[in-house]
Amino acid sequence: MTDTPLDFGDPADLDRLRHEFRAWLDRHPLPERESGEPVPVFLHRWHRLLHSGGWVGLDVPERYGGRGLTALHQVAISDELGACRAPGVPRIGYLAHALLEFGSEEQRLRFLPRMLAGDEVWCQGFSEPGAGSDLAGMTTFAERHDGHYTVRGQKLWTSYAQYSGLCLLLARTDRSAPAHKSISAFVLPLDRPGVTVRPLRAANGDDEFCELFLDDVRVEESERVGAEGVGWALAMTTVSYERNALDTGHISKYGLLVERLRRHASEHEGTLPDGLLSRIGRCVVDYEVLVAHARRRTAERLAGQVAGPESSVDKLLMTRTEQRLYDTALEVFPAELAQDGGELFGDYLYSRAASVYGGTSQIQRNIIAKRILHLPSNG
Amino acid sequence: MEREEFVLVRDTVRSLAPRYGVTSPDEVKPATRAAAQQALDDMGLRDLRRSSPPAATAQECALLAEEHGRHPLTTSLLGTVLLAPELLRLLGDDTSRGTPTVALTRELRFPGPESADLAAWDCEGADSALCVTTDGTVTRVELGPAAPSTDLVRSVRAVSPGAPVETVGRLTAPDQLRWQAYALVVVTAELVGAAGSFVEQAVEYARVRRQYGQAIGSFQAVQHLLADATVLVEAGTSVTRCAAWCLDNEPPERALTAARVAKAEVNSSALEAVYAGMQVFGGIAQTWEHIAHLYLRKVRLGATLLATTDELLPALAAPEVTR
Repeated sequence: MTDTPLDFGDPADLDRLRHEFRAWLDRHPLPERESGEPVPVFLHRWHRLLHSGGWVGLDVPERYGGRGLTALHQVAISDELGACRAPGVPRIGYLAHALLEFGSEEQRLRFLPRMLAGDEVWCQGFSEPGAGSDLAGMTTFAERHDGHYTVRGQKLWTSYAQYSGLCLLLARTDRSAPAHKSISAFVLPLDRPGVTVRPLRAANGDDEFCELFLDDVRVEESERVGAEGVGWALAMTTVSYERNALDTGHISKYGLLVERLRRHASEHEGTLPDGLLSRIGRCVVDYEVLVAHARRRTAERLAGQVAGPESSVDKLLMTRTEQRLYDTALEVFPAELAQDGGELFGDYLYSRAASVYGGTSQIQRNIIAKRILHLPSNG
Repeated sequence: MEREEFVLVRDTVRSLAPRYGVTSPDEVKPATRAAAQQALDDMGLRDLRRSSPPAATAQECALLAEEHGRHPLTTSLLGTVLLAPELLRLLGDDTSRGTPTVALTRELRFPGPESADLAAWDCEGADSALCVTTDGTVTRVELGPAAPSTDLVRSVRAVSPGAPVETVGRLTAPDQLRWQAYALVVVTAELVGAAGSFVEQAVEYARVRRQYGQAIGSFQAVQHLLADATVLVEAGTSVTRCAAWCLDNEPPERALTAARVAKAEVNSSALEAVYAGMQVFGGIAQTWEHIAHLYLRKVRLGATLLATTDELLPALAAPEVTR
């Protein structure tokens, strides 16, 4: 952590990028979602449009189809999109980083440009029924043969697998070694014989999450990402990207709702119960704290600090903000509770998942205790 | 300041702690107070915010206040070094002599429209106090006798209602906003420093204190308590430094909002973090001799200093006009 002054402002070239992007947005109006069009299909159209302007994978090197800039540039674009109520950038940053860091040059050239362009849609096959927070409990096994593997097992929480062509899959390749040495990563085409995708209905009615059944699926050795056993390291890298509110573009979404609450407060001045006004104020504070915290992380990165276990602090802060915000929003707009299927209530239900996905809040606290505070282990 | 220069200044402030940091209220005596204040005065920091443009940015001043808050110190870094000189700077007053601190209401808030009883805050080494009224007029008032305070380390003095008042100048409307934002940021930064340092001390204690044959820091219940306190301190640090940066770089309305947000957050989070630390220390932290209550007193009183959360939250619920 830095205890010297930081620059909380955007660097000049980020400012230029924001202007360039706003100008592009003026010429390319947001697509409308057609009636009956599934959300991921609509988002995919949006992904392709953004990519046509060069706004996907800004932090990916140019030879792999990106623009060779930094994560901060990509974050600035997420921020701009949120500010104009557009859907966010496709959530592929963490997958791209996994391939960049662990894939072979051939794999990077083969997969990254098509991933960024939206020519191939990816999903993530990490969690299992018996291995959520405790990824080490993974039992899906890839049996090695001559030049290929047969994979058997089950994955869970595989977002939008039914719309995806490829899956970044983790499976054990060694039954006896400890988890951090025995998990390997693969690129699995979902049209392979033996793969069954079954959407799972979430509490908010969405079918974002899927189950993935793998019954003796053949995977080629060339489809393994990195050496055998790097799966654990790959997962840790990926999850720390996934955890970071900065990198996932949540902040601007919260900002819009906070502004809506504030507008409501001013329109109903004097009639809102005092307690509720304070709760709206609390949401404003939570949101501004998160924004300030993200700006500090940006400033620290620019000052040369690399991302580490502090992403657990960021995740807990993001969770606090999101859960308090949606809970308050339902108090402010009680009509949203009168009927099911509304967007705000759906988002509220989703906010309850914030303390579970990407590692539960309890896991984040364990990480802070062990890796930031260096508290002793049990025994 | 250049980075190296700032580190030098900060380390000077840091050097006060091992020599003058108190570890028990019994150590707070007039002679030790005077010696500590003399050491601070010898550092010659009162010019940091005295000239225009100031030698130190608001962020640098906030970092110094944070550093000062890390240990119970009797010195008036905030009142006489960071706050009162800023008022004189904003007034363009180059001629005033003496060592003023700042005057607040008896409840330690910014003076409001009604004339209230005043108290001079953070008075060690001060010879007068500057009071900003709601129309921006800055007056100089004389210091009265010592006033009781739950913060046993910081000196507060009464201001006699009948004492002569000298008008020093008048702040412009934007400068009034700047003043309030700056004061909020500096005060908040000290609370962040106090909470952060106390949590660190509790973490250190959890590593060495053994119960049931093992370090208590190995118990998940204790780990989660300290992890949550760490998140609160980190968030408070971010929002306070960002507010200080806003003061250096953004219009005063925006800077004041950012400062209010920071105070609203830290009022509760610093207190909660200190509670967590005290819980980890257990019984020992309930004694007069232990340092814990000095931190608790500072952050508890600090949560009412200048602005309380209950005052701030409804105001922050209003839409921001500048956006």
